[in-house]
Amino acid sequence: MNKVIIIGAGPSGLEAAITCREQGLDVLVLDEYMIAGGRLLGQLYEQPDGTWWNGLEESKIRYEKALELGTRFLLNTPVNNIVQTNEHWTVYTDTESFTAKHLLLATGAAETPVPVPGWTLPGVMSVGAAQVMTNVHRVKPGNRGVIIGVNVLSTAIAMELKLAGIEVVAMTLPVNSQVTNESSQPKEVMNSLLHVSHMAPSKFIKLGSRLMKNDFMKNMGVTFFPKTGVKIWDIPIQLRKAVVEIYGDNEVQGVIVATIDSKGDVVGGSEEKIKADFVCIAGGLYPLAELAAVAGCSFYYSEELGGYVPLHSERMETNLDGLYVAGNITGIEGAKVAIAQGKTAGLTIAHHAGIPGLEKDIQTSIESIERARDKAYIQFHPGVKKGKELLLAEWQNRLGE
Amino acid sequence: MQNEKMIVCRCEEVTYKELMETKKTYNCSARELKLRTRAGMGYCGGRTCRGMIDKIAMFQDSPKNNKEVSLKYQPPIRPVSFTDLGGVKQ
Repeated sequence: MNKVIIIGAGPSGLEAAITCREQGLDVLVLDEYMIAGGRLLGQLYEQPDGTWWNGLEESKIRYEKALELGTRFLLNTPVNNIVQTNEHWTVYTDTESFTAKHLLLATGAAETPVPVPGWTLPGVMSVGAAQVMTNVHRVKPGNRGVIIGVNVLSTAIAMELKLAGIEVVAMTLPVNSQVTNESSQPKEVMNSLLHVSHMAPSKFIKLGSRLMKNDFMKNMGVTFFPKTGVKIWDIPIQLRKAVVEIYGDNEVQGVIVATIDSKGDVVGGSEEKIKADFVCIAGGLYPLAELAAVAGCSFYYSEELGGYVPLHSERMETNLDGLYVAGNITGIEGAKVAIAQGKTAGLTIAHHAGIPGLEKDIQTSIESIERARDKAYIQFHPGVKKGKELLLAEWQNRLGE
Repeated sequence: MQNEKMIVCRCEEVTYKELMETKKTYNCSARELKLRTRAGMGYCGGRTCRGMIDKIAMFQDSPKNNKEVSLKYQPPIRPVSFTDLGGVKQ
């Protein structure tokens, strides 16, 4: 029997593995992908101090450190079920099952699909898939792409595609429907972009972020948003246009875009074709919490955190004995927050495994999560701090019941 | 192609139109929407369309339940081949 099993070899899972090994615990890490690193693998951006954050390198450093410390890894191994029996957890994979007293879910996040007519054609992919193809496998997803969905993630990935020499001919919104809602509303999108304006070398967006503090100004901003779009890294971002259809006979040949009004409704007769050989759909991220749901964890829905998250303490414990969470399963945030959470989870597990004298380290580690959050370069949701506070209040509330 | 013909559940090929009409006719919950249309009951276990079914179910004043996941998750949460499931060694 293993002492600790960690599901997910992303930033938080790797950090938790390193922390547990440093405390002398036996650790097995499982991940469904063939390379350790999780979503960290695809990241590539310039930091405010001018240095580059290369997720591929960061992943490798942490993976090798965990290996050196004697962590066991099983990659390319999806977990399809977890069950709690008596005093331990059983983790099921396709061919084998494993047991452990302590189980950490560091399963990260998945992409929210945004359906647009024609989205089932070959050549349509999620923006994260395009990122992994480009940055991890070094394969171009195509030569001429259109990105549907304007948000923090897609803006960052558009820049990465550009670095790889792939032309992004347009970034625009999905056509309005019951299943696209906020992502098809120019005002909502504008609002979320304002929070990342520091990354965007565009005068319009930078100027906008200072001016558009109230609703009236935001409406005006959307109304006067140039029809031809605003260029960021030479990629035209269009908030006043939406893709109404992806067309092609057997594969993507292009998209039909139309002008939309400030509410997101299509202006009839404004349709035009844009040729492309691949289309990325960017609906943002949500916490991947399937295993926590199967296990029977209590949940809480938080818009700010990206969806349903398992209720958990500051120390990363869930309401089930021996089950812990860390990383994006607890809410959508950057890799640095995930790393700090992984460390906290690792220390908490070591504490529960009977290693004495960790209380101070745990408290310091909890504080470092907060610090990483405050210093985060990219905030996926402006209200993430509030979301975390509400979640913690709910945890304490239900604990009292 | 119009919005109506757009596929929401790719495994079971359930369209946006079918889901919206079912919602309007029965004013149903996400679970009922799933059972009536089979959306989310295919091979992938609803990994892609779960959120969309949730959103359609919330259309028209249905209150959001923020303490419970609306569509139940059931193992296996990833596809498993029959060979592996049955433990048959090749």
